[in-house]
Amino acid sequence: MKNLRLKAARAAKDLSQEQLAALCNVSRQTISAIEKGDYNPTINLCIAICKALGKTLDELFWEG
Amino acid sequence: MKALSILIGIAAGIGLALVIFKYSNRNHKMETQYDERQKDVRGKGYRYAYYAMMIYEAILLILSIGEVALPVESYVLHFTGMLVGAMVLATYCIWHDAYWGLNNNRKRYGLIFLALGILNAIPVIGSLARGGMLENGKLATPAINLGVLIMLVVTGAELLIKAQLEKRGAEE
Repeated sequence: MKNLRLKAARAAKDLSQEQLAALCNVSRQTISAIEKGDYNPTINLCIAICKALGKTLDELFWEG
Repeated sequence: MKALSILIGIAAGIGLALVIFKYSNRNHKMETQYDERQKDVRGKGYRYAYYAMMIYEAILLILSIGEVALPVESYVLHFTGMLVGAMVLATYCIWHDAYWGLNNNRKRYGLIFLALGILNAIPVIGSLARGGMLENGKLATPAINLGVLIMLVVTGAELLIKAQLEKRGAEE
């Protein structure tokens, strides 16, 4: 399932996939794969992404 | 004595390669760094490379039991198996975005590939100029260089195609 909340949060911060990837120390393709729903990140990467975007895990990753 | 000199040559080659790789990575670390998704992909790549090598060796075994004599030296056949494994791993990683590590300097690696290509092309061209690649009726050492050359060309072509696709499809 696509993670549109992540994409929206990244866009709101005016960050490219490349920039977010650099902040989280991963490749651009990994951010792309998470946004497309092709890859389920570990909790450590989820936390790194949340910190970079100033969001909580619930806001970006929890499917309530 | 021949085996010892080959071992020394391989050790020197590995040592040189490690130094070159160290200075080809942006942070001058010997080890290439991958993110968690890339490590996962590479794990699968190693698995497929292992299967490919097992199948290749099984075929060699069957040919050997069947006493099928190939006009190829046995070390060339086994080295080809290593190349098959390396090609499967490289191809899988390239198409799943796990070939380049986070700290790789692609231009410097490109230059290393080019240098390796030239170094392997020299013995191939030399043997062809001497009339062919057969020694005592069998494919010998220059065939190893040809194998490495083919691997470099195929890998390089795949990387270029992937880079072009990446440029077109880069989501922003």
